[in-house]
Amino acid sequence: MENALLFAPEIACLIMSLVLFFCPVFKASHRTVYSLAILTGIFVLAASLYTLPLSGEPFFPGIYKVDFFSQLIKTALALGFLCVAIICRNPLTVHISAWAELPLFLLFSTLGMMMMVSATELMTLYVAMELAAYPIYIVVALHRNIETNGESATKYMVQGMAASAVSLYGMSFLLGAFGSTYFTDIATQFAQASTQPIFYVGLLLTLSGFFFKLGAFPFHFWAPDTYQTAPHSVITFIASVSKIGAIAILCRLLSLATPHAWDAGHLQTALMWLCILAMTLGNLAALRQKDLKRLLGYSTIAHAGYVLLALQTFSQAGFTAAIFYALGYFVMSFACFLVISEIGKEDDLVSIESVSGLYKRAPLMAFTLLLGLFGLIGLPPTVGFIGKWFLFSAALERGQFYLVLVAAINATIGLYYYLMVIRQVYWVEPNTEKTFTPSPLITVTALAAIILVIAMGTFPDTFWELAERAASALMS
Amino acid sequence: MPLLSSILIVPILTLLAILLIPNRSVQLIRWVCALSGIITGVLSIQLWMAYDPVAGGIQFIELIPWVPSMGISYHLGVDGFGTILVMLNSIVYFTGVLTMWDLETRVKEFFAFMVLLVVGVYGVFMSQDMFFFFFFYEIAVVPMYPLIIIWGSGNKEYAAMKLMLFLLAGSALLFPGLLAIYHTAGLHTFDLIALSQHTFDPDFQIFVYPFIYIGFGVLAGMFPVHGWSPTGHVAAPSAVSMLHAGVLMKLGAFGVLSVGIRLLPQGAVYWAPTFSTFAAIGIVYGAFVAIRQTDFKFVIGFSSVSHMGIVLLGLNLAVLGKAGSDALNGAVFQMFAHGIMTALFFSTVGFIYDRAHSKTIADFGGLGSQMPRAVSIFIVAGLCGAGLPGLASFWAELLVFLAALKTYPIVGVVIIIGLVLTAIYILRVFTTAFFGPPNDRWKNLKDVDLTGFQLLPRAILVAVLVYFGFVPRAMLDVINSTTTAFLGKF
Repeated sequence: MENALLFAPEIACLIMSLVLFFCPVFKASHRTVYSLAILTGIFVLAASLYTLPLSGEPFFPGIYKVDFFSQLIKTALALGFLCVAIICRNPLTVHISAWAELPLFLLFSTLGMMMMVSATELMTLYVAMELAAYPIYIVVALHRNIETNGESATKYMVQGMAASAVSLYGMSFLLGAFGSTYFTDIATQFAQASTQPIFYVGLLLTLSGFFFKLGAFPFHFWAPDTYQTAPHSVITFIASVSKIGAIAILCRLLSLATPHAWDAGHLQTALMWLCILAMTLGNLAALRQKDLKRLLGYSTIAHAGYVLLALQTFSQAGFTAAIFYALGYFVMSFACFLVISEIGKEDDLVSIESVSGLYKRAPLMAFTLLLGLFGLIGLPPTVGFIGKWFLFSAALERGQFYLVLVAAINATIGLYYYLMVIRQVYWVEPNTEKTFTPSPLITVTALAAIILVIAMGTFPDTFWELAERAASALMS
Repeated sequence: MPLLSSILIVPILTLLAILLIPNRSVQLIRWVCALSGIITGVLSIQLWMAYDPVAGGIQFIELIPWVPSMGISYHLGVDGFGTILVMLNSIVYFTGVLTMWDLETRVKEFFAFMVLLVVGVYGVFMSQDMFFFFFFYEIAVVPMYPLIIIWGSGNKEYAAMKLMLFLLAGSALLFPGLLAIYHTAGLHTFDLIALSQHTFDPDFQIFVYPFIYIGFGVLAGMFPVHGWSPTGHVAAPSAVSMLHAGVLMKLGAFGVLSVGIRLLPQGAVYWAPTFSTFAAIGIVYGAFVAIRQTDFKFVIGFSSVSHMGIVLLGLNLAVLGKAGSDALNGAVFQMFAHGIMTALFFSTVGFIYDRAHSKTIADFGGLGSQMPRAVSIFIVAGLCGAGLPGLASFWAELLVFLAALKTYPIVGVVIIIGLVLTAIYILRVFTTAFFGPPNDRWKNLKDVDLTGFQLLPRAILVAVLVYFGFVPRAMLDVINSTTTAFLGKF
């Protein structure tokens, strides 16, 4: 029973997914389904919070590990699911026949990510990763307008499968190099193995599957297209919740290599170049975008680069910064997409012009978007500023002065396109008379997002300590 | 509540209050801002009085650990420089609110952004923690963008974007620079006082100092990265130009002083000849360009580049030792004097523009007969810019010039030429726009002069300029002991 309690978040997910599964069978109304989805979010969140202080290896020692790191991430994932459930109460851009199934798929994906962060064995990790990925392949394609959506959904699925195939291929190398798929074995034999090229090939190939999820170079090609054309609620999930999962699993995998990777060099060099390329490419490509979601798609590539900046240090400070940034990025990104899915309720595509004059049409939404974008730029008092400060600090701890300079210059380039959006929101006159009042639930969520963005930015201590505890659990 | 925190918290509360007041209660918003201006003003006077100039050093220290594991703490404290700059900010804030009293469009948002800017500025002048220094520095920069694109005029989108890109490019240099200082010291603290007691390796200082100097120098209008400043001044609404040229540019110089020179003295000495050359070029170049301008605000904008050159020159001469204390006293005095002076300039130009809807100098003529008070006030500011004895700038510029003549005679001569050029562009504005035959175009302008309430902010600024022009001791007493302590390292 003790052991089963450690599984509480996963079990909660499973039970609720059964409930959500039977909803369409019994022809429940959409209202019921979405109320149930929100309830699910609360339930899973409560379960995750309950297990937050617990640790152990329930049932499958060496395969599945519950520690502070995994539980913190699970809590964040549960919160993320709840937030997405709140905003997709009226998912107009999703094809109507799929409304009832949407929360179910998102919940499955959340469950997959929860298992992913606890997995400490390669096969379990792979299965969890696929569980997280498949529901997303499906929901990405559920746009009501097939014409805009068909190509990008296919692209996303094909690339995703290719990436996970590459990942699997890499795992086979790792198995060859270590003779085991258990993380503990890998970590102990690391010192000898790290001299062999096969190991680096294996690890980099394995990482590629997760780079795909994070949208890091060179597995980023899906991001702009999918961001632009997937249903709003789905892309909110991909842009916020699944980023937490991706960063977390990268932390888990790279922490295996930690004691030696910095000195050994090759892996670190490879990651450093991926980081530079991701930042530069994402930011430069975003400059020319006209579609708001597409622009954020490119910006997500740049942010993947910023996170890699911390991860390639292979230090506790780096992992702490990455975990902190994952939490912060979730909030900022969610704030932006919350607004996008509100204003774009009836539109298939959301161009930058569609937010023009938003300050007149919906002041609270405008302010939420403003703070979200300020966060992504990295301006105080939002969490984006302190998050970047921590990321850059981790790299400078390793003495990478010029790398931080490149990152900081990239952040300046990013300023331009974010400001172009802010200009539309606060200065350009509205191109439509349509005002809209968000529902009370959305208002509360938006306020919560605003408060969190500022609170994490001005009083980072609590969150930093959580991240620090998680990182030390990760390293132990 | 401790004094410095009170000064910081008043505008923060004002900001919250403004956000809670409904859009239509415009008058209430104005009064809330004015009230907070008065309160911070009174508190700043109290600070000035309570600061003990004999003891010198950093006083009113408040220390609360913020992120202990990273060594970040909420650490406030002011030295003599901080004291007068807090005063400067309070004066410009209060007068700025009064200057914008008649604003009708999107009043709530305007004052919200403006107060946010003020919070950032106060924070920088008081922070003794490198993280918070940078945090507040960025907070002060951020609101400029909306303030210019929404309430600005002319080529405002270009100006706002240029300003933001320049300033954040400066921050991009600061990010690695500041973090490198933190990690190299190895003290696990961002505390500026602790860091200033640490001696950094000379090679490291020489390597990292330019990043700090140029990073902050961008905001101080340093030649050749000053391009954002005149266009920004011109496009911004009056009160924003006042805060921007009057206070914000001082943040840059203050950053050079209290992070760059304070932590990296040897780096500063190494680079001082190079950077003083740039500063001297800035002084003359700014003045030359100002002569050719046809727009009031551009004249003032380039004069700011020129005058901030004097500040930067003073800072660089200070570390070279020959006349260090004169140079530093002069530079800090000039920060204050220039702040008040440009605030007066922009507040008055803004007034003239609101009435005549033109900023082109050649459009005017004989304006003095229609707006005698506004024009007289403009003339006071102009003469102050030209360094007329009896006004605050005179002493500041004199000190820097003397130091320059002692340290680098050629630079001294060059900047005296700059001063002559200043007189030329100022007097040219006077003769073309204010004197001579009245231009028929403006004969319909009646009852347009400053009256009663509108006179108040300008009167305060003029009074300050004259007061420190005649009683420079009041200023020098406060900053001199800090200067002496500061230069102990050289």
